[in-house]
Amino acid sequence: MNSVMYDTYTIFWRELKRYKKSRSGVLIRLIQPAIWIIVVGNIFSETQPLIQSVGFEGEYIEFMAPGVIILTAIFTSIFGGVNTLWDRRYGFMNKALTSPISRSAIALGKMSAISLIAALQASLIIGIALAIGVTFPNPLMIIPIMGIVILFSLGFSGISVTLAATAKSQETFWGMINLLGMPLFMLSPALFPLELLPNWLAVVAKLNPVTYTVLLVRELMTGVSEGGVPILISIAVIFAFVVAMVAIASYVFTREVNKPF
Amino acid sequence: MYSIEAKSLTKSFGDLIAVNDVSFSVEKGEIFGFLGPNGAGKSTTMMIFTTLLKPTSGNAVIAGFDVMKDAKHVRENIGFVQQETTVDEYLTGRENLLLQAKLNHIPKNEINKRIDEVLDLIELSDKQDQAVVTYSGGMRKRLDIAGGLLHHPKVLFLDEPTVGLDIQTRRKIWEYIKKIHIEFEMTIFVTTHYMEEADNLCDRIGIIDGGKIQVIDSPQNMKNALGNEIISLVVENNNNNDSFLAELKKIEFIKKINQDDSKLTLFTSNGTEVIPKIFQISSELGIKIITISLTQPTLDDVFISYTGHEIRDDKSKFNRKIEHAKMKRLRA
Ligand SMILES: Nc1ncnc2c1ncn2[C@@H]1O[C@H](COP(=O)(O)OP(=O)(O)OP(=O)(O)O)[C@@H](O)[C@H]1O
Ligand SMILES: [Mg+2]
Repeated sequence: MNSVMYDTYTIFWRELKRYKKSRSGVLIRLIQPAIWIIVVGNIFSETQPLIQSVGFEGEYIEFMAPGVIILTAIFTSIFGGVNTLWDRRYGFMNKALTSPISRSAIALGKMSAISLIAALQASLIIGIALAIGVTFPNPLMIIPIMGIVILFSLGFSGISVTLAATAKSQETFWGMINLLGMPLFMLSPALFPLELLPNWLAVVAKLNPVTYTVLLVRELMTGVSEGGVPILISIAVIFAFVVAMVAIASYVFTREVNKPF
Repeated sequence: MYSIEAKSLTKSFGDLIAVNDVSFSVEKGEIFGFLGPNGAGKSTTMMIFTTLLKPTSGNAVIAGFDVMKDAKHVRENIGFVQQETTVDEYLTGRENLLLQAKLNHIPKNEINKRIDEVLDLIELSDKQDQAVVTYSGGMRKRLDIAGGLLHHPKVLFLDEPTVGLDIQTRRKIWEYIKKIHIEFEMTIFVTTHYMEEADNLCDRIGIIDGGKIQVIDSPQNMKNALGNEIISLVVENNNNNDSFLAELKKIEFIKKINQDDSKLTLFTSNGTEVIPKIFQISSELGIKIITISLTQPTLDDVFISYTGHEIRDDKSKFNRKIEHAKMKRLRA
């Protein structure tokens, strides 16, 4: 067990080293969520009466800021697995596979690195939100929020690693990511309250782990509880999602890397 | 004790049989060369040995462990340097080695010492803190090889360690391989399609072609089996050429003569005694010899004699030969 942790850390360390060396990537990945929060946040500022109808008193931008934090987490982590493909193509994977470390340690190391990177990117977005005037009633809440973002991103990195391990080409991988990422984001209360969705969509949204994460982060950030989901239920759903995704990713990864690429 | 044992190894990809019933063993401490043209099945065999591929049938035992049943122990005892360079360009040379050390569970208090040692060996100490992007191809390859032996594996697998490098760098890498072989008493299994490399480096060579082992022996024995020395000479065209040829054939050591215009290739033994006789005959007939050389048969000749074709499947060269033959036929 000890050795699995050591090995996981080895891969984690390597992934973070690579991330640190690609500084331009950090900024490029911030552009999209920054546009969301600045542009969309202002375009929809007139919708304030809508969100007031569900008991939210603040500006629209304050309502949607948690949504954009989660957007950042989703996309950073779901893209994060792509270097699995490069590693298989350029031989690092074979290097790791012929060393004594276990296959699941490789998958776990990748996932934990991705989730930390996603959380770092999300924290930069929190910074942008603060800079454009979004306020936290209780600044200490940033700590549990970051915890949730890390956890949630771990689940999505599991999706990413699973897809990257099964995909034989970049095209397949990008295709699947796009197929999954946007709908999961849209089918959540990230931009609009759950109450405003048509009934059947609201049902679908309730099956989406993103929904619970957005609700939880929004409640921690603004103090307004919405959609009638208790905090503990949200936490439980997120935990279940993460455990399932990490388990699936480790299993699928181990199975796939044993086949020739 | 054997370090590598292949027992009727077979690997097929769909209809293609990449490795076909291959059996051989490599003794502890040997440098064993696996020689064959592109697509012969060298890398595939090596990937089975290093637990990356499962054989379709047959089995292999590496450092005493079964690759199928005991892959983890195999991995603890091997180093593998792949055909493609795999060092991480974003990381520095030292960071690459650190990663390799961690992957291979080198004890924490040993890591720095080992890295310094190996950096010294590959002469990259002064560049260790630069990103690998700034390294030349040869430096990257050296770093890659260093990564494979950092943990002092019992068996080191090198897949074409010098492909694409200039001859100077290639020789240097052979030196490194010999050096580490002595220093760490490793068994080394190296694939190559450079004859010179196999000849220089290996205690024994296995020639593989079309997935099948053709022969296994030491380079010297292989060449000795061919027996002959080769004298090549170019003469000035002269009316007496035919009688010159006839006289040469009378020399007792000469076994065979190939003529290609004014170029003669003589397969012979006791070459040093034959040469003066050639000069004697040529001066008697008034034939001017432009060049003459005495060579040992090379592994190239060995390879051709076992497989019926040359190792380099360089298409342009091949075609030129066909064209050449055609032209000759036209002229005749
Ligand atoms: N994953 C794969 N799927 C299908 N065919 C493969 C695969 N890997 C190798 N082959 C085929 O198996 C044969 C042997 O390939 P291998 O890579 O072992 O050759 P090699 O001797 O290493 O050649 P080279 O000198 O070019 O590296 C080739 O015909 C190759 O096309
Ligand atoms: Mg090969």
